[in-house]
Amino acid sequence: MHRLDSLRQAVRELLDAGEVDGVLALRADHGGTVPHLFQSGDDLSDLALWPKFPMPSTVDLLLSMEPEAKLGVVIRGCDERGLVEMAKRNQVDLARLTLLGVACLPDEVAYCPCSKPYPSEITVGEPLEGVVDPRVSEHAQLGRAERLAFWTHQFAKCFKCYACRDVCPQCFCEDCVLENDLWVERGVLAPPFPSFHLIRALHTVGKCIGCHECELSCPADIPLTILYALLRQDAETMFGYVPGASIEDEPPLVIAGVT
Amino acid sequence: MDYRNVLTTCIYCGAGCNLYLQVANDRVVGVLPAKQHPISQGKLCIKGWNAHGFVHHEDRLTQPLIRENGAFREASWDEALTLVADKLQAARADHGPDSVGIMASAKCTNEENYLLQKFARSVIGTNNVDHCARL
Amino acid sequence: MSEDFEPRIIGFLCNWCSYAGADAAGTSRMAYPSNLRVVRVMCSGRVSPELVLRTFREGADGVLVLGCHIGDCHYTDGNHRTAKRIPVLRKLLSYVGIDPARLRLAWVSSSEAQRFTQVVSEFTETVRQLGPLELKGKA
Repeated sequence: MHRLDSLRQAVRELLDAGEVDGVLALRADHGGTVPHLFQSGDDLSDLALWPKFPMPSTVDLLLSMEPEAKLGVVIRGCDERGLVEMAKRNQVDLARLTLLGVACLPDEVAYCPCSKPYPSEITVGEPLEGVVDPRVSEHAQLGRAERLAFWTHQFAKCFKCYACRDVCPQCFCEDCVLENDLWVERGVLAPPFPSFHLIRALHTVGKCIGCHECELSCPADIPLTILYALLRQDAETMFGYVPGASIEDEPPLVIAGVT
Repeated sequence: MDYRNVLTTCIYCGAGCNLYLQVANDRVVGVLPAKQHPISQGKLCIKGWNAHGFVHHEDRLTQPLIRENGAFREASWDEALTLVADKLQAARADHGPDSVGIMASAKCTNEENYLLQKFARSVIGTNNVDHCARL
Repeated sequence: MSEDFEPRIIGFLCNWCSYAGADAAGTSRMAYPSNLRVVRVMCSGRVSPELVLRTFREGADGVLVLGCHIGDCHYTDGNHRTAKRIPVLRKLLSYVGIDPARLRLAWVSSSEAQRFTQVVSEFTETVRQLGPLELKGKA
């Protein structure tokens, strides 16, 4: 059975069981997709899966809107990791969610390479091996001067649209450090090297789940995920921490204890 | 609980990026990018990301206002438009067509801007037409 | 690089241990390079990545973060965060082409005046060899 048909069946069953107030999934719209809350009795024929959309922020929005509501959510591996990290920071209550897991297809994995392109429980699809972004190992070959030249050029394209921050499933701070004039001066474009981007990169450590939405939303095509992937590797090497792997793991940079 | 996303065109510059307005329980609460759109391709500038901000803003005007005795009072559209038409005609009659200037806007559609310049040139009779981008 | 280059080094010293250690070096009239400009903070854990980056951007060629030894922090575990955050920031600096040796973290207790002068002397020399960073005004 085509995976969309399997998914529709799973969503229908979940809605009919009456334990959730709706299922958050993607809907086909104008040649693309957009998040939509399907409710009991709705037509599911325009349920869709690609292009993907990050779900955690929308989950947070819906759960905050209706404090008593329970939701079903169609998630990929990255969405689940994002929800786990948000749950650790008291942004979402996983007990209110029923997750319908979708494993990514080969060309989807090629499009946004990640280490685990499937959630812990798979409703639809088969788990594939994670892939490492080849640009990350290419970057490691560059010498110091080359790196400086590369990133100076890349960051000079930035015009502070804040898309990377706005679309990130993990960015929920009400007072964002990147809007603080003390660290990233207002009214200056491009943001003075390397303020905006290195502050953002540091803040992703222990949080970034590798969904690539920041880079996909960047109008200046800055290859942000190269830096974030490198730091994610470091978090694993230095602290044994993998964002989203387990709700029991504590984010290393904020807790006591030296490894 | 009602949640849906509505595709629309950004009301700011002339690029014409599309975006989704996030609507939750009949309030516009945010913006999501339109990944499939040929112009915006899932990307938005800072104005696009905040294009929803004015919709429910408390400072937003909801009715025409007429200044009287140094203060604003609410008025109907009919009263306000009649006042504007009377004043424009008076300005043209008393001081000539070139005493009137018309400012067009990037937030108007091409068709609205066309009408504005036609209004300036054919109705008022002046070439004093310019655009907010020149301010 | 110019023979006249004098590195500008900013040091964030925690109030309880390292600042007291620096003070002890001073009262004992120990000599150490005058390139260091000290900023006293209550705990090394207060030194955020934003602060270090801004310091480099304002013209520092090297940034030194000194705190209490692990286990001796006045706030129990403030320096635990420093111990984890500074190495990550050093890695990040290396990824964008800034020599991570320009950022150093060391523990200096209030009685370690000699160690303080040694750390400062070593670090000043390291940064001198690296040359000016010149991030100020860089787009």
